[in-house]
Amino acid sequence: MTAETQASDADLIARSVSEPDLFTAVFDRHSAEILRYVCARLGPDMAQDVTAETFLAAFQGRDRYDGTWPDARPWLYGIAVRQIRRHRRVEGRRLRLLQSALADRPVPDHGDRAAEMVTAARLGPRLAGLVASLPPRDRELLLLVAWAELSYAEAAAALDTTISAIKARMHRIRVRLRQELGGSNPMNEENHDG
Amino acid sequence: MDEITALRQIRPVESDAEMEAMLQRARERYVAGTGARRTPRAGQRRRSPVLAGGLTAAVAGGATACLALTGVLGSAPVQRANTGPPGAVVTAAWTVREDSDGTVTVEMRQYADPAALQQTLRADGLNAIVRSIPYQLETITLPKPATAAVKRPLRAPHPTCLFGSSDNAPQAVQNAAVTISDQPFPLSFVIHPDAMPQGSALFLTFMAGVPVAPKNGYTGVRPLVPVVLNNSTVPPCVPVPTKTPLTSGPNAAPGPKG
Repeated sequence: MTAETQASDADLIARSVSEPDLFTAVFDRHSAEILRYVCARLGPDMAQDVTAETFLAAFQGRDRYDGTWPDARPWLYGIAVRQIRRHRRVEGRRLRLLQSALADRPVPDHGDRAAEMVTAARLGPRLAGLVASLPPRDRELLLLVAWAELSYAEAAAALDTTISAIKARMHRIRVRLRQELGGSNPMNEENHDG
Repeated sequence: MDEITALRQIRPVESDAEMEAMLQRARERYVAGTGARRTPRAGQRRRSPVLAGGLTAAVAGGATACLALTGVLGSAPVQRANTGPPGAVVTAAWTVREDSDGTVTVEMRQYADPAALQQTLRADGLNAIVRSIPYQLETITLPKPATAAVKRPLRAPHPTCLFGSSDNAPQAVQNAAVTISDQPFPLSFVIHPDAMPQGSALFLTFMAGVPVAPKNGYTGVRPLVPVVLNNSTVPPCVPVPTKTPLTSGPNAAPGPKG
């Protein structure tokens, strides 16, 4: 195991200010995850470019990294979100395509699929449509929690706000989704503040 | 199950092979942009998009569009302006700006950097194809100099071929998709993506890197005329005869491949 693989992101980023090649280790550590997230939101045609732009922006701003965060993921997601904002129209088309694809897929048989798969299949098209109709800032927070699987604290760091603000916004978003989907069932409240 | 779990079930995902290919290309761009040491990764394979729940679906825009991007990845990374409107990409040669109404405005100050222009337009969601026209310099003498400063023969670029296509979209589509500004310089035009038919492409051509100093904004270069094609097939560049014997050798400035 090399020193680079053992070092925290914060350590690597700090050292990369004087040794720029070290930042490549940060790319190799997190680029697949960022790419997956960007790809889910914008599609494969743009994902590689936006991911590259995200890490280039991170590289250029590495001297301003807050070293109190040993894990750079929230910082990188924050940069990715700002890059994605430039392509709202593309994301809108992507979500509409997703909605259509979900509507076209057959609902799994109760007998051989888990109940949550059946529920997701039934709710999928409406859920995708609702996500598309959310205000952009709400959508990016919701998808940071749902698709990037960031905790509220990490989402707050990514969006440069407070945890209490994130909690309040998420509560409002989830209430709206639940109402739009027709009430509390079949969904039950779960805590995603990991 | 709550809404967060349901959302995770519908998250679109790509196949491992496609993710690896995209990661490789993103890494190449990152390395080129930072000047970091190059370390090769595995080669690319075809995409097989699936949803997280195991659904195979054509959610993405299409494999050809994704693969076509590889043709421009070798170009220098586009420098984003520190000033200017949000969402704009500004280079020394041109500006591309995505406006709040969904239109994209292009302003050309120099005819240069076709690969980066293509890359930038595609990043804005446009199926753009940008090619440079090969040219040679020819010596011409103005019969009646317009100003006292023009007293000797000029070396002007002459295209050695021009792209022509019999597969252009109807004129009504051309008019709806692109609005060209009346002002002579810098050339600017507005693209209306919603007026671009499905499967069509915006085709831009110009002679890139012509060594002619602009005079009053006029470079003597054949103006760039955006054309909407019915599909993404790049038309052939048809040779054109020269008016006068050409001087120094070929000065073609190849555009992005693909």
